[in-house]
Parts: sequence; C-alpha cells; structure tokens
Amino acid sequence: MLTIDFGPDGNVVIAGRLDAAQCPAAQAFLDQVQGTVTLDCSRLEYISSAGLGVLLKTQKRLMGSAGKLRLSGVNRHLQDIFVYSGFDKIFEIEPSP
Amino acid sequence: MTAYRSFRRSFDSIPDIFALTAEVFASEQIDPALLPSVDLTLEELFTNMVKYSASSAAVRIDLAKVPGGVEVTLTDYDVEPFDVTQAPDADIDLPIEQRKPGGLGLHLIRRLVDCVHYEYSPESRESRITFRKTQAGASASDRGTVAGSANAHD
Repeated sequence: MLTIDFGPDGNVVIAGRLDAAQCPAAQAFLDQVQGTVTLDCSRLEYISSAGLGVLLKTQKRLMGSAGKLRLSGVNRHLQDIFVYSGFDKIFEIEPSP
Repeated sequence: MTAYRSFRRSFDSIPDIFALTAEVFASEQIDPALLPSVDLTLEELFTNMVKYSASSAAVRIDLAKVPGGVEVTLTDYDVEPFDVTQAPDADIDLPIEQRKPGGLGLHLIRRLVDCVHYEYSPESRESRITFRKTQAGASASDRGTVAGSANAHD
C-alpha cells in the first residue's frame, strides 16, 4: 500500500511501500510536480529498484527545467539503498533524525 | 520448518508475496530487521521472472528458517536459463544525464543478501534461485563499505 500527496507545508509526502505494483500511481503523481520539490520519505518504509526508477525519472525531468527533487526523512534502510544505487550522488538526501 | 506458496506471474502478486514473508517472519520469529532486504530481493527476482520470461506458469516461493536468518528459493517453470548471478553491476558513478531507470535490481541484491545461488535443469526447464539472509551476513553498509558483490557469486 502506498499513499502520495501534498502535505500542509507544500512538501510531497510519500508513505508505505514503493514497490513495482505501486510505481504507476507514484509516477502519475510526481509527473505533475514542478520546480524544486521536497519528498518527505519519513513514512516510506520500503523502496525497490522500480521505485528508484520513478525517483530518477522525476529528478531528470525536474533538473531539465532548473528544478530538483530533494529527499527528506530518509531512514537507515532507504539510505543504504540510495548509497548502493549511487543515488546519494544525484539527490540531496536528508536522513531522518 | 519450510513454508511455500505459488504466485501468479504478475506485479499484482507482489503484495501477496510480502504477506507471505511477513507471516513466516512472525511465525518463525525471524529477526524483523532482515525483512526489508528479503522483500526487496524477492521482489527484484520475481519481477525479473515476470518481465523476461514467456512462461505462464506460477512461480513457487519457499522460505525456510536457518540459523540467524532465512533461506528463500524461487522456482520458475518452463523457462530458458538466465543466471542472475552473472549479470553485470550497474555503473552507479555515471552522471545523472547518462543514468537510465532500470538495471539496478540485481546490483542491489548482491549488496543486501549473504549469497545467491542459481541452478537450471534443462530436462525440466526449471530455474531455481536460492538466497540467504542472516544476521551474520550483515549488509555492506553495516560493515562500513559498499563493496560487497563477491559473496553473491558464492
């Protein structure tokens, strides 16, 4: 199960599990965002390579128009996945406190 | 104790696979810290089977508790051989302009589990992939390095 929506502070809040079955919904939402966007991952429990593809596609699109996707509230497991995939070099990542 | 179930060859089966792992981890009291890596490895291997095989047979998944963790086997029926342990790593140092979505699944699992074995039976046209995740085989980041691909080829 995955939910993705704007939070009260204007950040995009993603919660649940971003697996291959949930990627179409996440991609459809992120295809609508513009500029510099913070994705609050503090309630994101899980991401697979399919989910990484959604983030990469969004980052490439936003950077093409001088924006970017920032990732905040990233837990230890997700941080490992981002490091192993080299996403720590192409995303600004703020770990969870 | 071993638990097994067969899953329809569809991305829609992924939540049911996660339900099986959660059920086995709870009933067998396997360290829940190992679950995200097991789920990710299962998802990557299962979705590979869904995407790259023409078979319509269901995929069987077996889980067995082992000392300090779990051993998981995926059996794919009526398929051509494809040794996942020989797939090359992704180049994670490419600049973003040259990076493309995809190609990270097998790269990731080498870093997340203790070992991955591949077997193929030409007579029955069955592929069998077995991986093990234990507390002793901590992920590369737990050891302070990301260079951990060799153990996936044991």
